[in-house]
Amino acid sequence: MSSHDNVRAREVDEMARIELSNIAHTYEPTVENPFYALKKLNMVWEDGGTYALLGPSGCGKTTMLNIISGLVRPSHGQVLFDDVNFTEYSTPARNIAQVFQFPVIYTLMTVEENLDFPLKCRRVPEKERQKRVREIAELLNLSDKLKRPARKLAADEKQLISLGRGLVRSDVSALLLDEPLTVIDPQLKFDIRKKLKTINERYGLTMVYVTHDQNEAMSFADTIVVMNNGEVVQAGTPQELYEKPETTYVGYFIGSPSMNFIKCDFDGGRLHTAGGSIPLPSSVSLPEDRKNLKLGIRPRFVSFAAPGADSALKGKTEMVQEFGNYRIATVKIEEDIIRLKLPPGAEVPADDAWISFPEDKICLYANDVLINGSL
Amino acid sequence: MKNFDIRIGGVPHLDDVSLEFKRGKLYTILGRTLSGKTTLLRTIAGLDTPQKGELTLHKKEFLSLPVWKRGVAMVYQQFINYPHLNVLANVTFPLKRAHVPKSEAKKRAREVLAKVGLSQLEKRRPRSLSGGQQQRVALARALAKQSDILLLDEPLVNLDYKLREQLREEFLNIFQGQDDAIVIYTTTEPGEAIQLGHELIVMDEGAVIQQGNPLEVFNSPSTIRCAEIINDPPMNILQGSIGGGDLNLRGKVTFPAPNHLKGLSDGPYLFGLQAADLYIGSDITGKVELSEISGSQTILHMRGGIGSFIVYEAGVHHHSIGSTIEIEIDKNRIYAFSVDGELICPPTITSGQGR
Amino acid sequence: MRTLYLTFKYGAILLWSSFVALPFLWALTTSFKTANGVTGGATYIPWLQYKPSLEGWKVLVRSGGQGIDIVQPYISSIIVTLSASIISMALGTLAAYGLARFTYKVGFVKNSDITFFFISQRIMPPIVLSIPFFLMLQFLGLLDSIPGLILVYVALLLPIATWVMVDFFSNVPKEMDEMAMIDGCTPVGAFLRVVLPNSIPGIVVGGLFCIIFGWNDFFFAFTLTFTKTQLLPVAVVALNSSVTPWWSLSASALVSVAPLVIIAFVVERFLSSGNLAGAIR
Repeated sequence: MSSHDNVRAREVDEMARIELSNIAHTYEPTVENPFYALKKLNMVWEDGGTYALLGPSGCGKTTMLNIISGLVRPSHGQVLFDDVNFTEYSTPARNIAQVFQFPVIYTLMTVEENLDFPLKCRRVPEKERQKRVREIAELLNLSDKLKRPARKLAADEKQLISLGRGLVRSDVSALLLDEPLTVIDPQLKFDIRKKLKTINERYGLTMVYVTHDQNEAMSFADTIVVMNNGEVVQAGTPQELYEKPETTYVGYFIGSPSMNFIKCDFDGGRLHTAGGSIPLPSSVSLPEDRKNLKLGIRPRFVSFAAPGADSALKGKTEMVQEFGNYRIATVKIEEDIIRLKLPPGAEVPADDAWISFPEDKICLYANDVLINGSL
Repeated sequence: MKNFDIRIGGVPHLDDVSLEFKRGKLYTILGRTLSGKTTLLRTIAGLDTPQKGELTLHKKEFLSLPVWKRGVAMVYQQFINYPHLNVLANVTFPLKRAHVPKSEAKKRAREVLAKVGLSQLEKRRPRSLSGGQQQRVALARALAKQSDILLLDEPLVNLDYKLREQLREEFLNIFQGQDDAIVIYTTTEPGEAIQLGHELIVMDEGAVIQQGNPLEVFNSPSTIRCAEIINDPPMNILQGSIGGGDLNLRGKVTFPAPNHLKGLSDGPYLFGLQAADLYIGSDITGKVELSEISGSQTILHMRGGIGSFIVYEAGVHHHSIGSTIEIEIDKNRIYAFSVDGELICPPTITSGQGR
Repeated sequence: MRTLYLTFKYGAILLWSSFVALPFLWALTTSFKTANGVTGGATYIPWLQYKPSLEGWKVLVRSGGQGIDIVQPYISSIIVTLSASIISMALGTLAAYGLARFTYKVGFVKNSDITFFFISQRIMPPIVLSIPFFLMLQFLGLLDSIPGLILVYVALLLPIATWVMVDFFSNVPKEMDEMAMIDGCTPVGAFLRVVLPNSIPGIVVGGLFCIIFGWNDFFFAFTLTFTKTQLLPVAVVALNSSVTPWWSLSASALVSVAPLVIIAFVVERFLSSGNLAGAIR
């Protein structure tokens, strides 16, 4: 185990394609029926891609990040960098830069010394070190603060130093960020996100970003990996996840408010709900198992229709919530709750309400899995 | 009407503040961090003391009462519970201090726990609960006290995104039954403030800059600063002028002044536009600096002849950095502010109505 | 590779355990020997190599008119140590709460200076204090008495108690005190009902330190007592005569150490059961 660290020739060089092969992990390997923080999965992180690991607290995203970086050794499976097995290698050998939730800085050094440190450790010649530090400092708007003691900076600037320290090494294979904007003021979050995007464009760095905030994930990443309970639920572009969620969980998790789900049955070419029936969308071909069907439609696409209109469902208005830029009307059809996202002044019927939505925006789910999806 | 009056000054982070709260209403205080919201709540609770001014509850002097006699209930943003007591004991703790008989205390506690959905977790210790559950315990404890004043200091800020959504809706139901109490809720999110409150108070740098019905404040912010705080993403503020019946933006775009602004005298103005009132269209062109996704819409940060501005696009879309897009302005939704930042004329229609 | 590592690991542990445990085992076997058994060559296993006898133990209770009575000093030590520890912990906890929660400023002296001042009392070599304490107790007429000893020990143990508790209290969030006050507790009530119950680990650790230091102290027990009161460490030393009575010394050593070992086992069980996790997430 220890002898590998010293063999520099086996280090990861430049950007790498990272693969997690048959990875599973439990933090209690000696227990009888251990709880698996990460259930068996395979994932590939392509060179230069931006990824977000999105999921609620406890879903395993931080565990996965730590397995990539080497801070956690997976109980099963392998971590491959450019097809070379790096599972046994420690973090320094993998050449990973990691930014944590809370700024990690060397309190006794100035900002410049902080940024310089990783290069100094790698014995990079002074001229090149200075150039690099200056470049990164300029990128992060820290140029005028280089000589200040690092501990005197504000939380968000300290986080930028953490970030800078990871970037200053030009041979970093990947940049991993674990909920890095937690301590940042909301107003400054936008600024830092912009910097991260610029970094990605300029250096083509593979970036993996862990968060529970879908806005951050969707704004930042080209590919979002949605996780829940230690499993990868769906991986795709923000648009794919928004328009065609593969499971009802993704439909719930992505989008604010969540996707609406209405229970229905299929009979005679139509989908029957407790509030009425609509024709089966022409693009959908039902599987053999037609039990437990759910109709999914995003609040944005639902609107009020004239009473008794064709293909409209009948329910009762429960409440209207104002948000300034829009209002959300909640309509109940027996036990199903449907939310409509409407412009601020839109009319909402007081009691009985008919709702309708376009056929092409419907997602039909059987046993919580999208019909005609890729699962 | 039993009221709670505040007239204080001399507390760090707070300028002179004068407010009146009425029973049975939910007040949301909106402001950025360090705007004085937390200090205000702490002063009401008694944890901070103002140097001058008065606090009166039901016409009785409140300021001289020490913290433990004020009978205020508070929920912090960090989940504060008593770790050495189980959930039920946590909720009955203040009741026991108030000498409520044991059986009555337990009954009340169980009712409140049912209200927040934690009935099965009575015997657990707070440490073993999730963040959302811990905050519910704190809320239950505050509700069980049946105080005249219930204070909540950004209670959802440390919770997951989706959990916040869910709890906000639950709050509406929970606070429905609090007819006797004054509920004060602080937040940094405008959407939350507007959704939850009967009355909205906007604070900035220790002072109250506007208050009133949430939608009214949203539609007619009294100053540009207020418009900045209550709009997320921030309102676009563009320099311009009115002259000869035409409205001019930064000298680059000119069009006939919309109806609601026709009565304004000629001269320089600052014009405000909400992001939702800029669409993909053909008035002005701009380059995309950054595109962000928020909830179910795309926010485009752009730069063009008229300066930098932000556009809302419904749905989730991808725009690469540097791409050029044509934007249309909903002219009937332009706000006119004086060059000092005071609101002169808000639009008369609501967003989306003119389209 | 792995087996080599394991052998090395367990070998090291075995070695170290022996190093720690063997002296006790040796004392145990020695305490059952007679004078002859000790002087005539090394023998280890009772009944096989030598005949065990209770002589060493009998000496301690002065049976047969010989030796000393260890029971009285034992009881005195227990009384003095427990009383001093309890008083020190009580006073120290209160002082620590003040230092952790409130800000004091007298000139340039701040909280951390005051805390340091407390701890600095233990930096002094005890011998420096021997004469002052002697004179003070004489003045009060408390020389050679249990209350006198308790007074002195409180002075010695108080800094330790304060030091441990200051650290612990700064780990209990101030917001919890505030919440207790909002819920209707007076500041004192908040301390007793909320802060203390959550500082039990600190109290256990602090109490343990106090007991260990108090029980083992020989110096002050020696200088400040003569005939009326005698503490355990002094009594053990008194066993010595021209011929070193290894057997009774071993017995008395075991007897002196026994209470601490038992407490250590009990507390260790308590400590590791996870009762002592932090206050707030």
